[in-house]
Amino acid sequence: MPILKNIAAIAKGMSITLKEMFAPTVVENYPDGPGPLKGAKFQERFRGVHVLQRDENGLEKCVACFLCAAACPSNCIYIEAAENTAENRISGAERYAKVYNIDYNRCIFCGYCVEACPTDAITHGHGFELATFNASNLVYRKEQLLAPMPAHLGANAVFNKAEIDKGMPALTS
Amino acid sequence: MADAPKLVNLTVDGKAITAPAGTLLIDACKNAGIEIPSFCYYPGLSVQGACRMCLVKIEKMPKLQTSCTTVVGEGMVVTTENDEIHQARKSMLELVLANHPLDCPVCDAGGQCELQDMTFTYGAAESKFVDIKNHRDEQQWSPVVYFDRPRCILCYRCVRVCGEGMDVWALGIQQRGVSSVIAPNMEDHLECEECGMCIDICPVGALTSGAYRYKTRPWEMNHVATVCTHCGDGCVTTLGVRRSDTGMEIMRGDNRDKSGINGDFLCIKGRYAFDFSKEPERITVPLIRRNSKLEPATWEAAFELIASKLKEVRDRDGGQAIGVIGSNRTTNEENYLLQKFARLVLATNNIDHHRTADYPGFVSALAGTQNMTASMRDVASAPAILLIGNDPTEQHPLLAWQIRNNVRLNKARLYTVNSNQIKLRRQSTVFHLISAGSEGAFAQFLVGNDSAASSVGDPQALNSLRDKLRGEQGLVIAFGSEIRGEHIKPLVQFAQSVGAKLICLGDYANSRGAADMGLYPDLLPGYYPVSQLTGSKDEDWMGKAPKQPGLTLQEMFSAAAGGRLRALYVVGSNPVARYNLDPFALKNTFTVVQDMFLTETATLADVVLPAANAYEKGGTFTNTCGDLQRLQKAGDVTTVKSDFEIIVRIANAMGYDVHGLVPFAPGLRADMGQTRGAESGEADRHKVWLTRQGIEPKLSPFDPLALLDEIQRLVPGYEVSRLNLMAGNDQHTQVPDIGSGELPSHPELIVPSEDTLFTSGTLGRYSKTLNSVMENDRAVPEDAGIPAD
Ligand code: SF4
Ligand code: SF4
Ligand code: SF4
Ligand code: SF4
Ligand code: SF4
Ligand code: FES
Repeated sequence: MPILKNIAAIAKGMSITLKEMFAPTVVENYPDGPGPLKGAKFQERFRGVHVLQRDENGLEKCVACFLCAAACPSNCIYIEAAENTAENRISGAERYAKVYNIDYNRCIFCGYCVEACPTDAITHGHGFELATFNASNLVYRKEQLLAPMPAHLGANAVFNKAEIDKGMPALTS
Repeated sequence: MADAPKLVNLTVDGKAITAPAGTLLIDACKNAGIEIPSFCYYPGLSVQGACRMCLVKIEKMPKLQTSCTTVVGEGMVVTTENDEIHQARKSMLELVLANHPLDCPVCDAGGQCELQDMTFTYGAAESKFVDIKNHRDEQQWSPVVYFDRPRCILCYRCVRVCGEGMDVWALGIQQRGVSSVIAPNMEDHLECEECGMCIDICPVGALTSGAYRYKTRPWEMNHVATVCTHCGDGCVTTLGVRRSDTGMEIMRGDNRDKSGINGDFLCIKGRYAFDFSKEPERITVPLIRRNSKLEPATWEAAFELIASKLKEVRDRDGGQAIGVIGSNRTTNEENYLLQKFARLVLATNNIDHHRTADYPGFVSALAGTQNMTASMRDVASAPAILLIGNDPTEQHPLLAWQIRNNVRLNKARLYTVNSNQIKLRRQSTVFHLISAGSEGAFAQFLVGNDSAASSVGDPQALNSLRDKLRGEQGLVIAFGSEIRGEHIKPLVQFAQSVGAKLICLGDYANSRGAADMGLYPDLLPGYYPVSQLTGSKDEDWMGKAPKQPGLTLQEMFSAAAGGRLRALYVVGSNPVARYNLDPFALKNTFTVVQDMFLTETATLADVVLPAANAYEKGGTFTNTCGDLQRLQKAGDVTTVKSDFEIIVRIANAMGYDVHGLVPFAPGLRADMGQTRGAESGEADRHKVWLTRQGIEPKLSPFDPLALLDEIQRLVPGYEVSRLNLMAGNDQHTQVPDIGSGELPSHPELIVPSEDTLFTSGTLGRYSKTLNSVMENDRAVPEDAGIPAD
């Protein structure tokens, strides 16, 4: 009976559909989800846009050793080094990165730079929304990559809410 | 010649090797291809035995022995690597690292540090000490020398190179044993020759260079070996370059790979004085005088104006109304091109340059002889050297280094005849102080004119000096510009009688090349007189050059003042300041100046063209001894052009077929079938290879190497091995044999540059580094009572 055969086939198919309808969702609801991340969820070790870290005094950790640039397989890190002076102290060591660019046209998010860094200055953050209509926007400068000042030293109280909650004084500049 | 030393046989790591008796074990092993690690040992310096990295096991000797202090012995059985030795070296490293700050990420030596390499090799990365390291702040000892004490591993190389190598003795050791400290001669700062040898030789980053400090890292740069643009000695300097906003920036200069005649030697100028190329005052766009002010203009406008003016003057007043002044710092190809341009395109023999030595006189005196010039390498190995006039420590630092080290290492005898108490007297076997201006008379005295002695000095001492010199085999005679004109001939006669070789000292990087390439009003390239060109040269372009000798530099200026010189073309030269000429002479002369800076001459010009310096172009230089060497483009400023290109473009704008100036042609030399890969769409591998070897396919009229072919064909003495030249080796050129007759030499036109260790003509004026150290008075070693080595 061809008709019965067809009905059976439809019923079988619909039963799978109905079963899946009531199963819990496994995909993330990005970008329609709640919160600043719009529903995106990350593994802690997700490798996103880099963050150049600061030390507890707010000084940049990067000492412009160029090791990340040397390690980078896509050759997308450009650094110019300069010497710290008493008046203009940027990093904790003798030297700091005057210019630090990462070209996200080329970066493959391999993490070798993070691996290479002797001072844990460069890390992968979770930023991932890099799309742009202009490729030159993808060359990120140091200012775009730097972590904000720790809250007890000034800027960006929102970002450091956790620290303030722990009792750090929130200075606003 | 002493007999060759006896050979001894020994066994190293099971391999039988032989070495001359007296060789250090570490050297013998190195020659046999067995590397022994070392810190304090350095070839050419005295033995120190401080670091104990070179430990080896020698059979029948108790304990491990330092191979840098042990001399090879017959039947020695040596092991250079086993567990015991490995462990010993590792422990030595741990001790060295005990107070080492391990700040490699910021240390300038990181990436080329011998301590880093050694620690990697022996895996001594762990510290067994828990004590806090002793920190000392970095000290600035001079504008170019910085010292970071905790990084020092006390190998004493710096102390030895400064004392033994440089004969400056500015560095010393304070305290003893593990608390030893390297210290500068002036307590907290250095007063020295600022050569930077100590920085270069330091195996770690304890001594760092003020010019390069904290700027970049070794692997971030391209390293280009080229020739120093300052004095006439022709040191190879390897420039580290990095991309910058305006092209390629030169970050540092050194010669750690010991390529070139200078080995690892460089004086302050070769090592630091490349900074003129990034001076803000440098001109980077063409300037044209409008309403009596120099204003920026385009290259096209400048070429058009120059071409129309030069053509107008040539066609109206003839070539004799145009003058050309060349440079001592442009390449051979540019000098050759410039005089060819003057003679063919401008139809004039009015071409000259700032003369610092009497090369035509030298060539005349050498007529009919063969192989009588010495190369810079000969100076380092000659058994005896006679130095007449000049002060090499100041004016020819490499020559002085070669002499000093030859005296120290090979016990060469140095005879110095000078009217000043020059520093090389410290190394002299005989130093003879003569009255000023009597160098020529001394030359006469050498060939037996005893009556000349009275004006020179004490006849008895002179006699004994002459006797000694007569007994010398393989003598090299170097003489300064004090000897010129008729005095060169007796010197050559004397040299002939004792079988000596000669060096005529000129002051600038390519003074010799400018002379060889015919920047003379009366001489063509290869010292052919313009008026009596004979033989086959006539068929070449030389036959088309005007036959009437032109005006000398000074005559050009008086002709300009008299209204007879209507146009003047100055390439990389500053005659107004150099000869103290009357600036108003050029009032009615259309003047074009090609330079890097607005010099006294350039400010008078109607058109100023920004030129590239010698670090920014390819070509060849001939040093003062006649050693031909290759220049490679290192730095780059994108808006300037090389003198070569500028000359070709002017000729082109004047409507001259540039094939007549530069023999370039597509398909001919460029592609003898090798480049077919490109046609089939592959990478043009042959072209890449040719370019890498510097044997560029000649497709461009701006390619100086296209002209090198012609130079090698037409200039006698320049037929050297092209392959060797391109591989970066120095090639000694012979002086052309002019047969009989005299060349016009004008000894009265020679004006020595009188540069010191810290000055270098116009370039020196615009070098911040040179200016920063010039205030330092140097300490004379005698004052401290230190004897010469
Ligand atoms: S993640 Fe990889 S590709 Fe990207 S900058 Fe770092 S090293 Fe380069
Ligand atoms: S980010 Fe790290 S590896 Fe890169 S230059 Fe800075 S300190 Fe060196
Ligand atoms: S820079 Fe000064 S201290 Fe260093 S080796 Fe040269 S002369 Fe000696
Ligand atoms: S400063 Fe450098 S060269 Fe001098 S002793 Fe210390 S480590 Fe050796
Ligand atoms: S000795 Fe002369 S060629 Fe050598 S580095 Fe010094 S100035 Fe340059
Ligand atoms: S190299 Fe032999 S002790 Fe230093």
